[in-house]
Amino acid sequence: MRFEAPHERESEARAWAVVRVAYDEREPVAWPRRHARPLLAGAVVAAVVAAALSPPGRSVVRSLRESVGIEHAEPALFSLPTPGQLLVTSHSGAWLVRRDGSKRLLGHYRDASFSPHGLFVVATRANQLVALDPEGRVRWSIARPAPRSPVWTGTRSDTRITYLSAGRLRVVAGDGTGDHAVSNERRTGARRAARIIVRNGQSQVVLGGRTVFRGTGVFDQVVRSPNGRWLLVGWPTANQWVFVRLRPRKIVGVARITQQFGRDPHVAGWCCA
Amino acid sequence: MAGSGRDERAWVRRAQAGSVSDFEALFRAHWGPAYRAAYLVVRDAAAAEDIAQEGFVAAVRALDRFDRRRPFGPWLHRIVVNRAIDWARARALRPEAEQVDAPAPERPERDDGLLRELGGLTPEHRAVIVLRYVLDYTPGEIAELLELPRGTINSRLRRGLDSLKERL
Repeated sequence: MRFEAPHERESEARAWAVVRVAYDEREPVAWPRRHARPLLAGAVVAAVVAAALSPPGRSVVRSLRESVGIEHAEPALFSLPTPGQLLVTSHSGAWLVRRDGSKRLLGHYRDASFSPHGLFVVATRANQLVALDPEGRVRWSIARPAPRSPVWTGTRSDTRITYLSAGRLRVVAGDGTGDHAVSNERRTGARRAARIIVRNGQSQVVLGGRTVFRGTGVFDQVVRSPNGRWLLVGWPTANQWVFVRLRPRKIVGVARITQQFGRDPHVAGWCCA
Repeated sequence: MAGSGRDERAWVRRAQAGSVSDFEALFRAHWGPAYRAAYLVVRDAAAAEDIAQEGFVAAVRALDRFDRRRPFGPWLHRIVVNRAIDWARARALRPEAEQVDAPAPERPERDDGLLRELGGLTPEHRAVIVLRYVLDYTPGEIAELLELPRGTINSRLRRGLDSLKERL
C-alpha cells in the first residue's frame, strides 16, 4: 500500500523545527553510556527493584541509602525544606505543594508551569491551555489542539507563555491574548545547572563538576530551589525525592512519592520564596 | 526513504556525537513512515503530527542510550504507534475532545475507500494493519514492536482484514 498522508510534507518542515531545537538542547551524557551494555544497566535496575521487594533486600537498599546519608526518609512530604512551593504533575493531574506540606490537586492537567513569580500556573489538558490561580480556579483558557510543554517567562508586568500545539511553537501573552505561532524560536526556559549521570546502575548528581549526591538505580530529574541552596532529586528506583542542601550539607529523603502524587510524578517547578 | 542499514548506523553514531546534519538525515528518512503510521491509526493530521513529533523528541532524549546495533526505524515506530493507539483510545473515551478548535484542513484530505474503512476498525486492529501493510513489518516483528504474542497479532490481522473485506 503506497500512501502519502495529508499534510505530510508541511508537517515534516514544522516538526523538524521543533525536533531540531530538542536536539540542540539535549544534554549528552558525560560518559560513553552508549558503549555500555544497556541490558546490563537494565538488569542492575531490575535487580535493585527486586531486591527492594524482599526483606533482606530492603536492608541492602537501606544500607545503600545510609551510605549516601539518608538514614531516615520521611514517610511523607511533611514540609519543604526551604521557602517556596512545588508544582508537581503526575497521572493524577497537577498538584501545588506549599511550604507547610499541604497540597492541592489543581485538576486533571498534563503539563504545568509556574508564572515567573509563582502567582499563577499555566497547564494543559486535552485541547486547552489553561491559566489557573493557586486555588485551581481557571483565569482564562484557550482552545488549541493537544497543547503541551508550556513555559511561562517574563517580568511582573510583561509575561508570555510558549507552548507546542499541532507541531508548532506558539506564544501567548500572560493574560491569554495575542496567541500566535512562531517559527523555530528558541525557548527561554531556565537551563539546569545540575546534571544527572547514570552509570553501571548508579546515578549521581553533578553540580559545577562536583558530585553532590549519588545513589543506586535511576534519578530522573534534579530541580534547584528558588534560593539556590537546595536541590530536589527525583529517585524513582527508591520511590523517593531527596532534598540536598549544598552547604552546609544536609540530606532529607521523602518516601512513598507515587502514593502521595500518583504514577510518574514530575516536579514541574519550584518557585518563588 | 530510509537509508541502508549501514547509512543508518553511521547517522546514529554521528548524531550521538553531535552532528546535526546526520541527525537531520535520520529525521528525514523516518518522518514519512512515522507520520503515516500515526495518521492511519488516529485519522487526524494534527494529532498525527504531534504524535510523530513527540516520538522524535523522545528519540532525541534517548539517543545517547540507543544501541546502534539495532535498527532505528522499529524503535521509533514502537514509540509512535503505541502513542497513536493510546491517543485513539483516549479520543474514543472523550469524543468531545476532537471537535475543539480543530484547524480547517488546508486542502481536502484524501478520500480513499480503503483508508476510510480503515478508520472504522479499532485502534489496535488499525495499528497492526498499518504496521504490516504500510510499514511492511512481519507479524513477528510487529509482535516484538507492540510487545504482544504473535498469535494475537495474527488474529488481529485476520479480523482486521476480514472486517475491511466486509465493509468494502
